[in-house]
Amino acid sequence: MFWILVQKELKAILQSPKFAASFLTFSLLILLSFYTGIKEYKDFDKNYTTAKNLVQTTIDQADSWGKIQYQAFREPSPMQIFATGINNDVGRLTAINKYQPVKLEHSVYNDDPIFAVFRYVDFTSIVTIVLSLFAILFSYDAVNGEREIGTLKLVFSNAIPRSRFILAKFTGSWLGLAIPICIPILLGLLLLLLFGIPVTGAIWVKILFLLGISLLYFTFFLALGILVSCLTKYSSTSFLILLVVWISFVFIIPRIGVMVAGQFITVPSTAELESQRTAYRTQTWDNYSQKYLDIWNKMAEGAKGMSEDQRQKYYDDHKDEVRKQQDDLQKEREQAENEFVERLNESARNKRDQLDKLGLILSRFSPTSAYQLTVMNLCGTDIDLRRRYEDALKEFRQKYNDFLDVKMKEDGFGGYSISFSSKGGFTFKDGRGKSVDTRNLPQFTYSKESVAAALVPSIIDMCIIIVLTLAAFAGAYFIFLKYDLR
Amino acid sequence: MLKLIIEKELREILGSAKFVFTFAVCSVLILLTFYVGAKNYQINKSQYDAAKTENVRSMQDLTDWRMAQVKIFLPPMPLASLVNGVSNDIGRNIDMAGMGELVAKESKYNEDPIYAVFRFLDLDFLFQIILSLFAILFTYNAINGEKEGGTLALSFSNSIPRDKFILGKIIGSFIALATPLIIPLLIGCLLLPVLGVPMAAQDWFKLFFIIILGFLYFSVFLSMSVFMSVIMKQSSSSFLMMLVIWIFSVIVIPRTAVIVAGRAVDVPSVDEVNSQKSKYSMQLSDEFFHKMMQFKPTQEGMDAFKEFQTFTAGLSETRAAQLKSFTDKINQERENKQELQQNFAFGLSRISPSACFSLAATNMACTSLKLIEEFNRQAVNYQGIFKDFQMSKTGATSGGMIMFTTRGDKDKKIDPNELPQFQFIPPSFGSQFGKALIDLAILILYNLIFFIGSFVAFLKYDLR
Repeated sequence: MFWILVQKELKAILQSPKFAASFLTFSLLILLSFYTGIKEYKDFDKNYTTAKNLVQTTIDQADSWGKIQYQAFREPSPMQIFATGINNDVGRLTAINKYQPVKLEHSVYNDDPIFAVFRYVDFTSIVTIVLSLFAILFSYDAVNGEREIGTLKLVFSNAIPRSRFILAKFTGSWLGLAIPICIPILLGLLLLLLFGIPVTGAIWVKILFLLGISLLYFTFFLALGILVSCLTKYSSTSFLILLVVWISFVFIIPRIGVMVAGQFITVPSTAELESQRTAYRTQTWDNYSQKYLDIWNKMAEGAKGMSEDQRQKYYDDHKDEVRKQQDDLQKEREQAENEFVERLNESARNKRDQLDKLGLILSRFSPTSAYQLTVMNLCGTDIDLRRRYEDALKEFRQKYNDFLDVKMKEDGFGGYSISFSSKGGFTFKDGRGKSVDTRNLPQFTYSKESVAAALVPSIIDMCIIIVLTLAAFAGAYFIFLKYDLR
Repeated sequence: MLKLIIEKELREILGSAKFVFTFAVCSVLILLTFYVGAKNYQINKSQYDAAKTENVRSMQDLTDWRMAQVKIFLPPMPLASLVNGVSNDIGRNIDMAGMGELVAKESKYNEDPIYAVFRFLDLDFLFQIILSLFAILFTYNAINGEKEGGTLALSFSNSIPRDKFILGKIIGSFIALATPLIIPLLIGCLLLPVLGVPMAAQDWFKLFFIIILGFLYFSVFLSMSVFMSVIMKQSSSSFLMMLVIWIFSVIVIPRTAVIVAGRAVDVPSVDEVNSQKSKYSMQLSDEFFHKMMQFKPTQEGMDAFKEFQTFTAGLSETRAAQLKSFTDKINQERENKQELQQNFAFGLSRISPSACFSLAATNMACTSLKLIEEFNRQAVNYQGIFKDFQMSKTGATSGGMIMFTTRGDKDKKIDPNELPQFQFIPPSFGSQFGKALIDLAILILYNLIFFIGSFVAFLKYDLR
């Protein structure tokens, strides 16, 4: 009996023109999202490789250590094809040197704002908006629709247990819709291989999870549709209610959640932090410049009364000692500034954490947010993307600067130096060598996230979707047990 | 007769539970949009004020104006909170120097990525997605629904001219659905001054025009739905068709148009352009230092030092001019290609009424791509003022290759308040209206096409 009911449901869905139209639309959109995602990934990858090569060329051509302008770039990931997330909003590169802190700049949307106008179509947006709408479209009249046209009574004129009927309804609708939607998705995955996207084993596992969670999200809306159709008498009412719920879940709650959080927690802007850093540098500069001057004055004091030759010898003898004192002072200054900047950043980061936490808690009232957050975590395009990269870059910056310190000590900064004395006038020195050996210069590489690392932050969101789906289904099940069939 | 049909339509819509429900939802959303927009404006304003204050504070202990790290900021604009456009995607801060290229950095979404995840609620989103969907919901069965319910045949058992009937249907639906929306929109507008959003007269004009555009867009979907309900036999089919059209109009066409344009017009990447600039800049630096090393003072002591300063300042000026001419050239080349790409993308996207509305609304709110151009243009103008100011104060300007500063008298600190203020002036209503005109015309055209389509199709409609 159960399978007969499932077959009836399957037939009703598959033979309807509604199915043909929505299946075609969905297939077209999914294939389009895969195609554009692949193209976008390839563009990102091309730009990444070109930019890296350009930087490498300038490094290879550098004739002094001081001339090297290293830039580290954010690597593209094939997973961004599925969920753009904040990938295009976050900066792609940062300069790595002693003088500037790590800061990802030049986001795709900032550099090419035309893409920000309408943004991208990705797999996640199609599932979030279109697939959920279709789930509602096929389930809003699952029960009350049958009651309106009288087929519900007809079915129950046979000895069918209610529990079996509602289970069959759900299973039939799910099979009738879920299996066909897998076809364009599989074709899309085939496109990945055809276009030569480097899909590793870990990525395939992530894709499997992604498809699983997408089907779960779709199942939630299907169960919700059946629940509302059990709760309401007329299909027109259930459709209206579902449409409003859909709008709230997909568009309103996620936005409102974050915006409400923004009203309570204000994060200082980067411009504000930078000005505070500048103010600190200005305030401490006087102190340090006096110390620099004192070192020179002390040496000049020691050479007082000496002849020109003696003075030159005295300077040569004390050169290393003075340089060491200067270096120590420089290090002390840098350390103090770094500590200050770190404190500033830490405080801003804490506030940003609070904002993110509150915003996400509030937005999780919507299963759509939970779905989006899970997918972005899996794809590595979540809100922590910038932080993860900046942390890795900070670590690299330290390593890079240490390397350059050693090299500059060995070979010199390599720049020009100008000295001026009131008696001797100007002396210029070109300290650049013919070439420097940059083969061992540290290169930034970002270690990709493992499947487990991507899954752990998503557990809570996955649980939310599972619980909501079970609740919607259980609700539909128990309400239908007492449903007035007339 | 027409009046009677309109009244019937009005009664039918306004008396339905569906209307009460959707009206309540729309009202809440509209009010929420204005409220959140106003609150966001305040948050952005406080961030902007704090950044400006900190920047001034960072100059307080300086004794030389050339050491000042001046930043200019794109101020929050009241309308940008109501129609976001690209205002959160583009850089808002520029490090100012007397010479050299200016680059806007730090977009809102780059700084606070959480906002980029779900984005903001604004009028563009509200009209484009929500209200258009409701327009479909109320009119997808305007004609075929009446036929299915048998009321169409009943109506035409009286001597009603078909043209008046369809006209009455469209006008009635529009009045019944659009007029009630005016109430929450007016309350929303009132909220702006109450919540301390400083709306100038120009802003009110722009907002008024954005709302007019919204209604025009709303009526495109309304007339399109009526048209579909005339040409399709069953209301379920017309609903499905409208839903597919809505998805294509809102999601597919605008985005695909940009992607197609991206493929058709190849714009060199920023990294490539920057690399060219960097190479040329290094070459000029080598030349600079080479020339600098040829310096032979004609005077002695500190006079020689001053002579050297003037000499290097001259070299810096020459280098900056050469670099500027080079960067202007390659920037111009990129901008020309970008413009071509934009024209192509927007031209193609205008097949979708949603894109037309979005482009017109963002143009009116000054949050379209033109905002970037305008900010850069005004920043470059300010650079001239800033340079003159530095010259008048120190005789030299910042941003060159070598800068000599002397340990000045600690008591002779600069007064940051003397610095000329950068004031971003949003383009006037007139100039923005000109830019939105083409989309306005297209929206009117779409309305006419679907209106005439419904009218003509209904004249031959099979009432049975």
